[in-house]
Amino acid sequence: MNAPARYAVQGLLYAAFIAFVGYFANAPTYEPLAPGYALVRLSFSHGAQRKEPCRKRTAEELAKLPPNMRAPLDCPRERSSVIVELEMDGELLYRIVAPPTGLAGDGASTVYRRLTVKAGRHHFRARLSDNVKGEFNYAAERSIDLGAGRALLIDFNAGQGGFLFRM
Amino acid sequence: MTLLWLVYASGINGYMLPWDKLAQFVVIATAEWFDALPIFGGTLIRNFIAEGAVNDRLWSLLSFIHIGLPLAVLALLWIHTHRVPGANTNPPRAIMVGTSVALVVLSLVRPVTSQGGPADLSAAITTVDLDWFYLPVYALIYRWSPGEVWLLVGGATVLFLLLPWLPPKRRRKAGFHILLHPDNRIIPVRDGEPVLEAALREAVPAPFECRNGGCGECKATLLHGSVDYGLYQDSALTPDERAGGKFLMCCATPLADLEIEYVPTKTPGNVPVRVYTARVMRMKLLSHDVMQLLLKVQGDEVPRFYAGQYINVLLPDGQKRSFSFATAPHERDHIELQIRRVPGGLFTTRIFEEMKEGDTLQFEGPLGSFFLREDSRKPIIFVAGATGFAPVKSMVEHAFHTGMKRKMYLYWGVRSLRDLYLPELPRRWAREHENFAFIPVLSEPKPEDEWTGRTGLVHEAILADFPNLSEHQIYACGSVAMVQTAHPAFVAHGMSEHDCFSDAFKLAPHLRAESAELVQPGGRR
Ligand SMILES: Cc1cc2nc3c(=O)[nH]c(=O)nc-3n(C[C@H](O)[C@H](O)[C@H](O)COP(=O)(O)OP(=O)(O)OC[C@H]3O[C@@H](n4cnc5c(N)ncnc54)[C@H](O)[C@@H]3O)c2cc1C
Ligand code: FES
Repeated sequence: MNAPARYAVQGLLYAAFIAFVGYFANAPTYEPLAPGYALVRLSFSHGAQRKEPCRKRTAEELAKLPPNMRAPLDCPRERSSVIVELEMDGELLYRIVAPPTGLAGDGASTVYRRLTVKAGRHHFRARLSDNVKGEFNYAAERSIDLGAGRALLIDFNAGQGGFLFRM
Repeated sequence: MTLLWLVYASGINGYMLPWDKLAQFVVIATAEWFDALPIFGGTLIRNFIAEGAVNDRLWSLLSFIHIGLPLAVLALLWIHTHRVPGANTNPPRAIMVGTSVALVVLSLVRPVTSQGGPADLSAAITTVDLDWFYLPVYALIYRWSPGEVWLLVGGATVLFLLLPWLPPKRRRKAGFHILLHPDNRIIPVRDGEPVLEAALREAVPAPFECRNGGCGECKATLLHGSVDYGLYQDSALTPDERAGGKFLMCCATPLADLEIEYVPTKTPGNVPVRVYTARVMRMKLLSHDVMQLLLKVQGDEVPRFYAGQYINVLLPDGQKRSFSFATAPHERDHIELQIRRVPGGLFTTRIFEEMKEGDTLQFEGPLGSFFLREDSRKPIIFVAGATGFAPVKSMVEHAFHTGMKRKMYLYWGVRSLRDLYLPELPRRWAREHENFAFIPVLSEPKPEDEWTGRTGLVHEAILADFPNLSEHQIYACGSVAMVQTAHPAFVAHGMSEHDCFSDAFKLAPHLRAESAELVQPGGRR
């Protein structure tokens, strides 16, 4: 092949290379959420109640312990699981039993869940139990207008009174 | 694999920092992906869950990763490339420049801009323009589940890690063993390795010259087992010899455990053969068809060699071409080659038509057992045909350098005057050293040469001057034809085989040749 032809072919190949790299570098568009849908995200980290309440140690028991460990109260560290139920428009959308984390089962229970729902006005009801008996001791309801492409975050913070609905 | 993943992670990290829509997608997807692992279990996403969650501290962490990861990559790469001898980490310069320019042009034509304004964590990402080279995994996280993507990625990693041990049994074979006679030694051969290579690695004094199937020097006898004969020239191993159980150690690879017998030699000083890279420092046309090439060896490390030895230039396609050192071993600055253009020759044509100063080439060496023997006191007759002068120059300069007092005669045979490409140099030697004499011999002098000196074939001129050669050492170097006609004639005049050293400039075997006479493609049994 003579020189001009060689350069032309090389140029062409480089152009094809540029086009290929250039196109796929930010196309085609990816659609993580279909049109007409919205996102409900349930996320929280909550330390449930201890499984057993603290107990006062007897004098006898205290005497058996090494002096530096003679705490008057014996508090078993294990926490109970957290149970969460989320209903949308009267139907159960999601239920989870989240065990405590940590080797001794004394950490917070963490839940994260990503749910895709049809856009529109929805009535949400959330309940949470964090005790051994499984009683739902927290509950909240809210009607929310969820536009397409919006994300509703359902958080939980016992200190702030329980469930938080955030848009 | 660690390196690959680190590079990938630092790229992903780069996508987070612009904090646009794509960054939001990448950050959340990363968190969701990792949260699928039990150890995180939903805690990571809390960092990005709502507008207030992304704080300065997290941000510093991301920026720190942005610097830390590439540093880790750099450190590991450095170790990695140092573990591989002679690692070649750059593509050929033309490709390097070409792709760099192409990418710069691309970045100007289609710059990557941030997408959809600053990240808004309260909104869901509905559409995003993905980098499909880097982020296809992220699309899969939502198409499949994060757990499945972990399986895929983990599986691929494990697969790649196992790759060196995995596939076909062919490669798993550790190779064979050879029982060597007369050493009575057993040496291992790696899979696919020529017998000669294994022998040299084990410091076996195996004879060899061209390592290329051209000289027949490495011929050995196969006593037991079978070999792939490889590609070699018919003249190096005739069909009769092959039928008689001979094979060429430089070309043959074992197909089973072998038992062989060879004739051991003393390799000159055990100079190790290595591959070198050299830059063409200067090119000078010495005559109409001889080019002088000065090579600067990279790392400024001229190999140690013996005067008269040669190198094999390695062509990009794996072929080799032999050329003698024209410099003496004490010349530590550069290597000189004198290269005659072979009409229709692949490499020599390239030298004359394409090669420029500054080009680089690779060669292996030093090779050959044609070198100046310093343990004799007999006068020396050098017989050079055309560029056979090159190794002779090396030997003569070495002799002068070491103060050798033996009488030296140089007979340089060429066709006509214009082929005598460095006539002044030997004449100067003759003037400056009384133990040196120079006798040029032209075989076909042209009328315009007005030649009054010796004519005819160079070996005939020698025989006319020295009817009895028994008290001389002869070093003959030149074309095959010259060496092959001269040798019997010298023997007939009393030359002892002991005192004759010759190097025939054979052409490289033509491995891809169509002509069957030149080529013996062996091994397909
Ligand atoms: C030990 C040794 C030392 C040497 N030292 C020197 C030296 O110092 N200086 C020097 O100039 N030379 C030296 N030579 C010779 C040199 O190696 C050759 O001239 C060189 O290999 C030619 O290479 P090339 O690629 O140009 O030619 P090649 O491509 O090898 O071709 C050589 C010839 O074969 C012909 N040919 C090509 N293909 C085929 C085919 N398929 N079938 C038949 N014929 C074909 C070509 O037309 C050409 O005439 C030495 C050789 C040896 C063995
Ligand atoms: S070394 Fe094997 S043929 Fe030359």
